[in-house]
Amino acid sequence: MKIHLLYAAVAALTCVAGCSEDEKEVIDTEYPVIAVDAADAFPKQCSTLKRGQSFTFRASLSDNVRLGSVSVDVHHNFDHHTHSTEVIECNMEPVKRPVNPFLLIKSFPIPEGLQQYQTAFELAVPADVDPGDYHFLIRLTDQEGWQTVKGLSIKIE
Amino acid sequence: MAYTWLRLMQLVVILLLSCAVTPAKSQTSLLRGKITDEHERPLSGVSLHLSPAQLATQSDENGSFLFTDLPQGTYTLTASSVGYVSQYLALVVHNTSKPLRIRLKPAVQALGNVVVQADQAGFRQREESLNLEVVDRAFLQRHRGGSLMQTLERLPGVKTIGIGSGQSKPLIRGLGFNRVVVVENGVKHEGQQWGADHGLEIDQFAAEQVDILKGAASFVYGSDAIGGAIAVQPAPVPAPHMAGGSVDLIGKSNSALYGTSANLFGRGQRWFAAARATYQSYGDYRVPTDRIFVYDYAVPLRKGQLRNTAGRETGLHLHTGYVGEQFRSVFYLSQVASRSGFFANAHGLEPRRVDTDLHDASPRDILLPRQQVTHRKLINRSQYQLPGTGHRLEAELGYQHNFRQEFSPYVNHGYMPPLYPRDLAIPAELEREFDKHVYSGNLRAALALGRHALVVGLNGERQNNTINGWSFLVPAFRQQTAGGFAYDKFQLNEHTLLHGAIRYDYTHLRTNSYTDWFPSATPTSAGDLSEKLVRAQGLDRSFNSLVWSVGINYNPGRFSLKGNVGKSFRVPIAKELAANGVNYHYFSYERGNPTLNPEQSYQLDVSLGWKQEKWSVQLSPFFNYFPNYIYLNPTAEHDYYYGAGNQVFEYAQSRVRRYGGEVQLRYQLLPSLSTELLGEYLRATQLSGAKRGFTLPFSPPASAVLNLTWAPRTGVGRPSESYVGVDYRLTSQQQSIVPPERKTPGYQVLTLQAGTNLRFGQQPLLLSLQVQNALNTRYLNHTSFYRLIGLPEAGRNVILSLKIPFTMTPTIHEKN
Repeated sequence: MKIHLLYAAVAALTCVAGCSEDEKEVIDTEYPVIAVDAADAFPKQCSTLKRGQSFTFRASLSDNVRLGSVSVDVHHNFDHHTHSTEVIECNMEPVKRPVNPFLLIKSFPIPEGLQQYQTAFELAVPADVDPGDYHFLIRLTDQEGWQTVKGLSIKIE
Repeated sequence: MAYTWLRLMQLVVILLLSCAVTPAKSQTSLLRGKITDEHERPLSGVSLHLSPAQLATQSDENGSFLFTDLPQGTYTLTASSVGYVSQYLALVVHNTSKPLRIRLKPAVQALGNVVVQADQAGFRQREESLNLEVVDRAFLQRHRGGSLMQTLERLPGVKTIGIGSGQSKPLIRGLGFNRVVVVENGVKHEGQQWGADHGLEIDQFAAEQVDILKGAASFVYGSDAIGGAIAVQPAPVPAPHMAGGSVDLIGKSNSALYGTSANLFGRGQRWFAAARATYQSYGDYRVPTDRIFVYDYAVPLRKGQLRNTAGRETGLHLHTGYVGEQFRSVFYLSQVASRSGFFANAHGLEPRRVDTDLHDASPRDILLPRQQVTHRKLINRSQYQLPGTGHRLEAELGYQHNFRQEFSPYVNHGYMPPLYPRDLAIPAELEREFDKHVYSGNLRAALALGRHALVVGLNGERQNNTINGWSFLVPAFRQQTAGGFAYDKFQLNEHTLLHGAIRYDYTHLRTNSYTDWFPSATPTSAGDLSEKLVRAQGLDRSFNSLVWSVGINYNPGRFSLKGNVGKSFRVPIAKELAANGVNYHYFSYERGNPTLNPEQSYQLDVSLGWKQEKWSVQLSPFFNYFPNYIYLNPTAEHDYYYGAGNQVFEYAQSRVRRYGGEVQLRYQLLPSLSTELLGEYLRATQLSGAKRGFTLPFSPPASAVLNLTWAPRTGVGRPSESYVGVDYRLTSQQQSIVPPERKTPGYQVLTLQAGTNLRFGQQPLLLSLQVQNALNTRYLNHTSFYRLIGLPEAGRNVILSLKIPFTMTPTIHEKN
């Protein structure tokens, strides 16, 4: 009797294992893509921003299903603490101490349900910030939570 | 008591001195004897262990046993058999030794029919309705890894999740962190178990035996045992009038590790004391690659060295207590401390460029970022056997202090000031500090009521956690838990054992609020407002849980069957409820969810075994369903403030189905050649929530270990002392992933093991050698935390260890 119970349990288990394969859904495992290679994309690796002026952040974002959100983080690299994700290295100024470094953290919503999105966000660089080496970090997610990061080395003059 | 102590210490010192001057003899002798029960009937299958020679045999059907070729000297003989009280005999072997007569008394707690069985682990497996693995010191010595948990990874269904060469936590059937309880000396180990960088503060040299319970074990261990439990047992109490010790030496080539562990023990008639000290120092570990990509950031490695992963570990242990016939009480005092570096390029807010000249100057220095952890424990374990009955009272009382500091250069993010303020009371390099004080108490009554073996018990624990450091992730909190359980084992008939358990727990958790030490700019309709943000609101929550379990063991002979079905639970931890900050190992922003409910789990476990003389097979499938699994969900959002634009990960609950199992096959090809196949499979699916259809994070891919071991027979009745083995591990690819994971390709890794017992005069030496990743294969381990940054596993690692056991002449005792 006990043995029969066991067989039933094992059979149930095998069924659960087997049945699950049928209801398998298509799962998105692809990362979104940030492209800054178009002619009008800005900034690019080693671009320069001017103090007291505005610029337009232009990048081409895409995902195989749905884009999530994009975040921009501009922070100083006076201590040379990190490098970019790009192959080309830029010329760096000597290490220095920050006094009033430019800091910008901004998240931009992407309209719902898009697979492609062209950013055109107007960003201003205040006139009184420290010039020097900076990082321009772009983080892009899709709706599933996959994230791609692009780290660009830029300068502020 | 002080006097007894003094005498004991005196004894140890005298014995040590006498041992040092005893001249070595090279003659060998026999040791023979006969084992009977109290009615002079011969007992077969009794295990006999001879230390320090580390020899073992079993009594034959006439109750006789024989050890041959023994160097003359002093030994301790242990005769043990399930259902009987173990006997310890201190004896001197010389060429005129007479045969021994050993009479074993039945154990009082023996249930119904006394089962005489040689292998105690096997007996326990037959008595436990959950899937149980028991590993002994020989296994630990043979497969020793970077930490105790890494050593256990060879077992099917057991994996580890960790960072680097020493920090790792167990993953039982894909569940880890706070879903597996680790118990040491009867008390639940309470460290900072929520982070992948938080290794378990356990000294693997101090472990004598480890029991691994796979499956929902909440009914015994309470919250957190939802995935299983690992119980670490200390060295047994020494035999009366015995003193001795051992020295372990270990070296590992990959991280240039060297270490030692030395212990001493001594026992009078009833009082005993034992002490152990362990020290290990290791350098940066090496991987078979010169360049890795941390989330697309290229990081060059000098000679494959993972910069700044060196570390030091120390362990100090003192055990002392009283061992009487009815009453025994033992105190365990320990301190396990470590200091180790984090891989410098992958810690912080983003992958970092580091001063490679500074870091690569020495592979042994520990620079920033690094962690420093001290774990202190004081545990008392007592038991009282009620005279003339099968009833027993057991109690454990424990105090633990876990103090963890993580150091890193100050990195401002969000609106933190660019330069560290001089007037801030927190040291500028103290990124995080966790200070945990835990008081725990367990009380049990084991009652033998006819064919019922009933255990009723109470557990209580009180925790106080405080935090410090310039960064914030988890608030300070206090937690109290109380639980009560009843567990009955009923011997239905000769072959069948039924189990039933019920447990109730109450938990109260109160988290403190936390306010930033710096102001952030909050946009309002009237322009930006500069204010210090409250990152965590105080939280006051209570949780109740009622869980149950029923099981069966059916052991008619060669065939064995286990079945268990039960409900388990886990109370959400402070981090899951109230986290709000950057996880520097993950480059993620983690946000707690104060509305989480206790996680519940229903699990069915089955285990089928067949054992023949030459072969055995065991199949252990399981099915598990969580109506509300708590997981860290990577959202599409980014944090605008403190997270410096990092992706937001938020705790959520979803329905989860898991199933899988393990298979173990053993076959004795020739008397000296055996083979073993250990396989495991697991599949987890989220059935609801934002990640519906996805798996759970860190799901181990299917894998199998194929082993071949050659162990020559050295004489009648003597198991082999030498072995040469090879483990061929095949791991399949892991295609089932969930953000932020990446698909991991399959791999094959070869490990070699060899060992022997050498003798220099009277002095035995146990030598063992292991070559892990023998072919220096470059592979990624899906359950390694470093998998996320594409870091391959450690390259070839040659581990050499030597154990030098010794005992000291007990006759000196009379002179004392």
